[in-house]
Amino acid sequence: MQSYVMISGATGGLGKAFAVECASRGYALYLTDLRAEPLALLAAGLHRTYDNEVRWQASDLTDPAQRASLFEALVAERLRFWALVNVAGIDHEGLFCEQPREHIRTILRLNIEGTLEMTHALLGLRDPAATFRVINVASLAAFYPMPYKATYAASKRFLLDFSLALREELAREGVTVTALCPAGLPTTPECLAAIAAHGWMGQITTQDIGAVAAGTLDAALRSRSIYIPGTLNRLLAALGGLVPPALIARLVGDRWKAARERRVKPLPPTPSPFDKLRACPERSEGAGSTKGGGARLPLPSQGRG
Amino acid sequence: MASSLIGKTIVVTGATSGIGLATAEALARQGAEVIGVGRSPQRCQAAEQQLRGLNPAGRVTYCVADLTRQDEVRRLAEAVRGITAAAGRPALDGLVNNAGTFTFWLALTPEGFETQWALNHLAPFLLTQELLPLLEAAPAARVVTVSSGSHYHTSLNWTDIQLRRHYNGLLAYQQTKLSNVLFTVELNRRLGPQSRVRAFAADPGLVKTDIGLKGTPALVQWIWERRRAGGISPAEAARGIVFLLSEPSVRDSSQVYWKHGRPQPPSRQALDVAAAQRLWAISAQMCGMA
Repeated sequence: MQSYVMISGATGGLGKAFAVECASRGYALYLTDLRAEPLALLAAGLHRTYDNEVRWQASDLTDPAQRASLFEALVAERLRFWALVNVAGIDHEGLFCEQPREHIRTILRLNIEGTLEMTHALLGLRDPAATFRVINVASLAAFYPMPYKATYAASKRFLLDFSLALREELAREGVTVTALCPAGLPTTPECLAAIAAHGWMGQITTQDIGAVAAGTLDAALRSRSIYIPGTLNRLLAALGGLVPPALIARLVGDRWKAARERRVKPLPPTPSPFDKLRACPERSEGAGSTKGGGARLPLPSQGRG
Repeated sequence: MASSLIGKTIVVTGATSGIGLATAEALARQGAEVIGVGRSPQRCQAAEQQLRGLNPAGRVTYCVADLTRQDEVRRLAEAVRGITAAAGRPALDGLVNNAGTFTFWLALTPEGFETQWALNHLAPFLLTQELLPLLEAAPAARVVTVSSGSHYHTSLNWTDIQLRRHYNGLLAYQQTKLSNVLFTVELNRRLGPQSRVRAFAADPGLVKTDIGLKGTPALVQWIWERRRAGGISPAEAARGIVFLLSEPSVRDSSQVYWKHGRPQPPSRQALDVAAAQRLWAISAQMCGMA
């Protein structure tokens, strides 16, 4: 009987990279995301190229009713799954008090509610013949409190702790849970660059989504609990455990404040590339795309493309 | 030479800036009917206006298409069929596969392909075959695919042809430019010596374009701005392409790779017939033609 890999947020930057990587390994896929048209386009491209089975269903995972109907459809179709990649996630960057409540609600509903319900539903549909692999896309932000991304970073911390706990609960039942914590955006490590400040941070901490997707799948298949792409990023995460959280929050906040101020200022006529690299103004805007939420960013530039 | 282009219908992709725009301009000036292709409606409109001023007698039409997407490539081919039919001559005398990009970080197209692979290689591959019936309807048509001297520095990575797992923007670019030559070689082999259609790969040399400035990190922009300073103008680069479209003697040449109107040996990898066939099969599958 066919057994599927479920990928949420499948048409965003990282979700698409997971879909392509899984397809290239010959896995049968079930993709979901907000809109039908990009899903159909991706599914067709993958099927053409890799000749694997690709099913899809559009669903707004922030909406309990839509989630329920997606899960009902999976049950009705009697589908079985051996892996779940929870990519769908969103960030609205900015001061907490300046956020519309709608934004705060959406972050919680998608990053937390949506991910947990999807996990709950899919665990009930797992293929009894296989080890069930769960991959939750957290973020390097899960290791630090982050001013200006307070809700987002905390939601990723939630997913990290949840993943580690669930992993223990199900350790003897043939289920593994892997939390992916990518830097992706130079912002988080840039913040810690206050400690080791030099301009190449953005460049050297950023990982390409293809390598991240392949590395994460390998890590999940080896039953790893946490996967942080990039040696330097692993080091930054470790440092996060050594420095008191309040101090980190301050350092991160300072970096962000500086970066935000630089962003609103007009650039000098011929800026040195090194200044620009240090500030990394543009890349922080793509927020969710590499940290695993591009799919749902209501921005035209989803997923870096 | 100029007269040989009068009344000829030629499609140029990426025709709103750089080498493509310069090529379209030169073709319009010499009396060709130009069908330009660009991604941005505004830039297409501006280029269309500009070119119409150059050639009041000939028709200039721009089509908007995002060639990173295969559905758009097919839609473009349909539009070209419509334009030529409406003009009363359903034939194409030339196709310039010029549109190309350089992407520093790995980006995937909506169909899941690496962006440079999709635009620089798959789009010419698919568009040429979609337009082949129109090209074959002309007495002597030419397909010019804009490659690059960067193709000399690489060979294809068959285990990960889009370099998804170990992406390097420059290496990916080089592979697509090598693929342009391999595609040209295999296209000519498939068409056979009797065909009315001949394909060439053009090496424009180092040209002062914005290719390294579009969406690249500051360091790449800084490097490209210094590197391109030693390059030639897009208009000079376009001359080599117009030569391949118009020069009668080129027809009987067995040379595939041309730089500034002179044949050059491409890399050894680029003339590997087995590699060309393998690449063709892979590309055909990716375009749903297998």
